[in-house]
Amino acid sequence: MQISIASVDSVIIYFSQEISQEISLIVKRAYSILKDLDNENFIEIIPSYTSILLTYDINKYDFKTLKKDLEDLLFGIKVDVNEEKSIITVDVYYGTDVGLDLQHMSDKTQLNIEQIIELHTSKLYDIYAIGFMPGFAYMASVDDKIAMPRLENPRKKIPKGSVAIADNQTAIYPKDSPGGWNIIGKTAFELFDKNLESLSPLSIKNQIQFNSISKEEFLSQGGVL
Amino acid sequence: MMGFEVIKSGIFTLLQDRGRFGLTHLGVSNSGVMDEYASLMAHKMLSNSLEDNLLVVVFGNIELKAHGNTVMCVTGAKCELFLNDIPLSTWKNFKVNSGDSIKIGKILEGQRVYLAVKNGFDIKKEFLSNSTTVKEELGGINGKQLKKGEFLPYKSTRSFVNNRLKQEFIPSYIEEVLTLRVVLGYQEENFSQDEKNKFFSSTYEVTADFNRMACRLKGEAIHSNLEGIISEGICFGAIQIPKNGQPIVLLKERQTIGGYPKIGSVLSIDCFKLAQRKVGSKIRFENIDIEIAQNKVRDFYNVFNNE
Repeated sequence: MQISIASVDSVIIYFSQEISQEISLIVKRAYSILKDLDNENFIEIIPSYTSILLTYDINKYDFKTLKKDLEDLLFGIKVDVNEEKSIITVDVYYGTDVGLDLQHMSDKTQLNIEQIIELHTSKLYDIYAIGFMPGFAYMASVDDKIAMPRLENPRKKIPKGSVAIADNQTAIYPKDSPGGWNIIGKTAFELFDKNLESLSPLSIKNQIQFNSISKEEFLSQGGVL
Repeated sequence: MMGFEVIKSGIFTLLQDRGRFGLTHLGVSNSGVMDEYASLMAHKMLSNSLEDNLLVVVFGNIELKAHGNTVMCVTGAKCELFLNDIPLSTWKNFKVNSGDSIKIGKILEGQRVYLAVKNGFDIKKEFLSNSTTVKEELGGINGKQLKKGEFLPYKSTRSFVNNRLKQEFIPSYIEEVLTLRVVLGYQEENFSQDEKNKFFSSTYEVTADFNRMACRLKGEAIHSNLEGIISEGICFGAIQIPKNGQPIVLLKERQTIGGYPKIGSVLSIDCFKLAQRKVGSKIRFENIDIEIAQNKVRDFYNVFNNE
């Protein structure tokens, strides 16, 4: 663990230089420890793949004191990779009418579309970070066979609910947005809902299971083609 | 109901407060006023809470009609300000009577005009803040910029304190070169001493790519020994150095995480000065030690907190 200055009122805590499931769990545990302190002097806590950014009240802490407190608090966190997590199932309609890059991916991978869907729905995904836009969860890792680089020319508009792949990561676009990920399907699942107390049904503590549904089911769930 | 009727909205007038905190872990931007000096000073002059909201006018050309008496203070960029077509100076409280017209014409020096009323506007907060983040459709009125015909309610008041800020405390936004103090951090170790020297001895220019999210600069290119980094949290003032070596200073509406190497961060209180600079303004960077920097920031806020 290394604690570095980020700005006059922020530090960044690095847990590793490499992405792994274990490091992600350590980040999540450290995030919970910091959150559970309910310390009003911790203004923002942003967990990501291998780090946590902490913005603090400099009227209550100076950098040196905070660094020492954090080292005492977070040193030597142990995690169990097999620990059970709460699973959220996301229904996806994988059709070429909404999965704009399915055919292209099929050409490139030599897999047929059914095989791509099978591979995408056969794994449980961890959430490594939430950012880029509200509710945008970076999930990993997709099977190497369907890992796919970002589009050379990003789209000006990726429709809300699009399920997409970039390298070995997968994500759902919470709203219309420009973007360069490969779109393989669409969901009616809301990732960012102003009516929810929590704003988003997802947190980094969840695991995601994608489930293939028919066009009819998708439409009956309120999905829009 | 008492309040302002929006006769002319200006192109991009936003309701803001100090920002929306505690939701960055979900990707929600802090947002908030870009220049806290001008905005907090407006609130201090009116004896408002520092958490109150106000309007930020970026391109001028706004007209409001008062329904009910209030007191106002306009700060920030130097601009044409009129009360019933009579010119008024900024950084000074003034009485507004029911039926009055308040206009801001052209912006003359600086970028952002702050228009505050006594006790702020009575608009429902969204997730603890009135700050408008257009791309997230949060805050303000329906998450959007101000529009003609909208209504900004306030509580009527007659209590008036004739405050006027001393000239020496009114910032000039046109000095030749603005110095931004930088606390080294993040991936600074991946920038060689030569690259750091280049960074701190060059003069940069503010480009047109400057909005609430970030300010892109152009000048001497800086390089680290990194291709990219694992995406991580981005704080206010962070200086990203993308592949082309041209610094980007991340501001209030920045995205919460990102994958460009960073050399450190501009002091928050210097970002407020940057917020008032126009395209083509000259910028230089100066290294500052973290302890001194923290004292500077504490001193800045003490002016507003110690009543």
